Amino acid sequence: MSVHSHPGDETLLRFAAGTLPAGPALLVEIHLQGCPLCRTAVRRFEAVGGALLDAAEPAALAGDAFARTLAQLGSAPMSGGLTGGGARRDHLEAAFSRPPAAPRLPEGLLLPEGVRLPQPLTSRRIGSMIPVSPGVRMGRVHVPEDGQSNVFLFQIGPGRAIPQHTHAGTEYTHVICGGFSDPSGHYGAGDIVEADGDVEHSPRVDDDGTCICLAAFEGRLRFRGLLGVVLRPFL
Amino acid sequence: MSALVVAIARTADREAFALLFRHFAPRVKAFLMRSGLAANAAEELAQETLLTVWRKASYFDPARAAASTWIFTIARNLSIDLKRRERHMGTVDLDAVDEEADETSGETILMSAEREARVRAALSKLSEEQATIVRLSFFQEKPHSQIAQELGIPLGTAKSRVRLALSRLRTLLEDLK
Ligand SMILES: [Zn+2]
Repeated sequence: MSVHSHPGDETLLRFAAGTLPAGPALLVEIHLQGCPLCRTAVRRFEAVGGALLDAAEPAALAGDAFARTLAQLGSAPMSGGLTGGGARRDHLEAAFSRPPAAPRLPEGLLLPEGVRLPQPLTSRRIGSMIPVSPGVRMGRVHVPEDGQSNVFLFQIGPGRAIPQHTHAGTEYTHVICGGFSDPSGHYGAGDIVEADGDVEHSPRVDDDGTCICLAAFEGRLRFRGLLGVVLRPFL
Repeated sequence: MSALVVAIARTADREAFALLFRHFAPRVKAFLMRSGLAANAAEELAQETLLTVWRKASYFDPARAAASTWIFTIARNLSIDLKRRERHMGTVDLDAVDEEADETSGETILMSAEREARVRAALSKLSEEQATIVRLSFFQEKPHSQIAQELGIPLGTAKSRVRLALSRLRTLLEDLK
């Protein structure tokens, strides 16, 4: 998989800073799995975070803050060392006690052969994939910790278009398989596309296969025409 | 600072912990307050951050990051976790994929310090306005409007200045692995 389209610098910085909302952050996390370039960029921004932390004007702590922390050290498991420490064992135990369950696919989703949903997505609850227009199904990905964004999984048939829509904030799209084109270019598996809310667009999927993609919308989402009316209770 | 974390990992060195606490706890608190946390919560989280430093010291890899960077990511993860808990979500172990660090040599500790110095040098090359933009981008949930307000420029201009500032930062950090 060769990635052509990456999240913008600002998105990566906000991811590194921890200020990117959980919806878009989920997409970035998935993108990072397949993109060493962006992993490096995030690490650089984290180093900037470290430098900013180091340069911060210290805020006074309560007089007993250190004593209270120190009192908890004894009970804190130390990890590492030859005795085989706590933290690592915790992770091993976690790995054995929680075998990765076979991911439940959302109802109505048909994955092309050999395609899997990326890992951080499989631990999320995804609503059933409801048909929204000819050849197009969408299902809501539950990201309850993010009240601001809407995240959807799309399954779009060959040659079909994502229904026209507008939204208040940025739209992030991550391609899981297949590809699509819009006026800004062509995108394939592993790519992330960011689009400003004010552009109204309806990307068209390649003719040679289904496209599965994940989209996060910041701000309220509006579809045009009848579809908007049909989907209103759903959004 | 990196040597102090390594000392904790190797010998559970409480003196090293005291030094780290003195330096970082007040800074983590300040950092979290700037990103919008109340003083009480910021102080709680600063203590939790340093406790995590003690517990997870053996996961620190000075070849990969400076101590300040590592501590920054711990504080960041804890504050993301706090926000999720506030929305009644279960906690997420954000570093479950971390590997325990290999045995550390004096050389890697030196590398860690060098990394830190290079990031500082890069930041010092930004113009004052660009440094403000980078800072606000780090702390603010909605940085554009804050930047526009602070610099007295229209929102659209703020967006393009952010783009410029970050691409300059990217260039300055280019050879940092
Ligand atoms: Zn990338």
